[in-house]
Amino acid sequence: MRAKQIQWAGLHLVFLLCVFGLGELASRQGWINPTFFGRPSGVALFLWEHLQTAKLWNDLMWTMLGVLASFTLGSVAAFAVGLAFVQWPRLEQFAEPYLNAINVMPRIALAPLFILWFGLGLGSKIAVGFSLTFFIVLSSTVAGIRSVSQDHKTLCRTLGSGAVTTFFQVTLPGAVPVIFSGLRLGLTYALFGVIGAEIIASEKGLGQTLAYLSSIFDINGVMALLLILALLGVGIVKAMTVIEKRLLHWQ
Amino acid sequence: MIAVDNVQLSFDGRNDVLSDVSLKVADGEFVSLVGPSGCGKTTLLNLCAGLVPHTGKGDLRVAEGKPREGNPNVAYMLARDSLFPWKTALENAAFGVRVRGASESEARERARAMLAEVGLGAFENALPKSLSHGMRQRTALARTFAMDAPVLLMDEPFGALDAQTKLQLEDLLLRLCQQHKHTVLFVTHDLGEAVAVSDRVVVMSSRPGRIVADVPIDLPRPRSIRELQKDSHFHELYAQLWSHLESGWTRHEG
Repeated sequence: MRAKQIQWAGLHLVFLLCVFGLGELASRQGWINPTFFGRPSGVALFLWEHLQTAKLWNDLMWTMLGVLASFTLGSVAAFAVGLAFVQWPRLEQFAEPYLNAINVMPRIALAPLFILWFGLGLGSKIAVGFSLTFFIVLSSTVAGIRSVSQDHKTLCRTLGSGAVTTFFQVTLPGAVPVIFSGLRLGLTYALFGVIGAEIIASEKGLGQTLAYLSSIFDINGVMALLLILALLGVGIVKAMTVIEKRLLHWQ
Repeated sequence: MIAVDNVQLSFDGRNDVLSDVSLKVADGEFVSLVGPSGCGKTTLLNLCAGLVPHTGKGDLRVAEGKPREGNPNVAYMLARDSLFPWKTALENAAFGVRVRGASESEARERARAMLAEVGLGAFENALPKSLSHGMRQRTALARTFAMDAPVLLMDEPFGALDAQTKLQLEDLLLRLCQQHKHTVLFVTHDLGEAVAVSDRVVVMSSRPGRIVADVPIDLPRPRSIRELQKDSHFHELYAQLWSHLESGWTRHEG
């Protein structure tokens, strides 16, 4: 198992070295224009220089703060609304057309409005991230709770289990697998929303720096930030997988 | 212990599901309900458990009272094991006792003892995913018997098992009932199973469900499922039930 993992890691390393080597060669030979595509050595240099300054870490911190705040608020609100929908289906029936109308709207189009309402700070980023996370977690919460086994519900009824016991002992654990798939997607979309809002207008954050570097044609910097964002996304997914494995070890 | 008196039930107000059903199960008696699919066996059991409200004519008494959900004198066993996949065998077996008010330690103690009785003493920390179908159903039996309710309502508990596992679990059920002396109303579609485990077998007709026969099973106890297969009287009773079942169909078709 371990040998196989080392083998795979080696294979990926060789592949990446080939891609970056080919990029470097193409750029130096003039096959591609480094003004538009950057150069791997330039990206590496940018990272080396900027990872030693506080600015990049500061941006990373503000972006992560926005992601975590929008994800937490969006998920908690969606979970609460989801529970209310399951408890009172008529409420869901009433709210459905309005929620559908908002959900089909490209949420990033709301960013200029959020910036007007909440300013260039954390508030507008959280609002965009929230608007994306909320609907994903809401639908998975409702689907998760409704997917709880009918047999488990019947068993609880025959035992005379109270509402609180049934919820915490049966409904919630039974709904976790579906809710968790929504949370995983919601977190990725929170990152998507926050970066989008930062690119449109923000005081701080990776998205704002990305937009700035792009405007001054620092393509090495843009590529470096895209690399950081990709690693951030992978890190988020990996972290969620670890939590999922711990929470759902019984599956 | 269970008294069903001229019970009639209809879900839509027009078509009867059950029609004039009368049945008595005495203390410590094991009665099986058999009948064609859709004849209302499970509906009758659910009426007794309080899962289906009795809106029609007649009267029902279970453990000296009207049927109601959560009656501590009644334990219900579903067709599927309905174990919680996130709980261990011990936690599953203790669930019913715990919900019905026992302390955590008492519930675990009773569940542990029952798991040992059903032969799963070494598997108390196993999750359902690592148990076979038979072992899962044994855990469900442990959960049901751990509650120590005087009345057991069982809805085809071995219906989804393979033939060999089913015979083993029927033997286990015979042993448990012998030891614990519960009053049991047992729904099954398997005539052999009904004859093997029961004191009486009640045969129902196709919908609307009516009782067409009430056959006493005078096989001596303790019984062994294996030995019964070689017993000629067991086969006579089986044939007798089969003919009653056929008459129920004929009546419906006629």
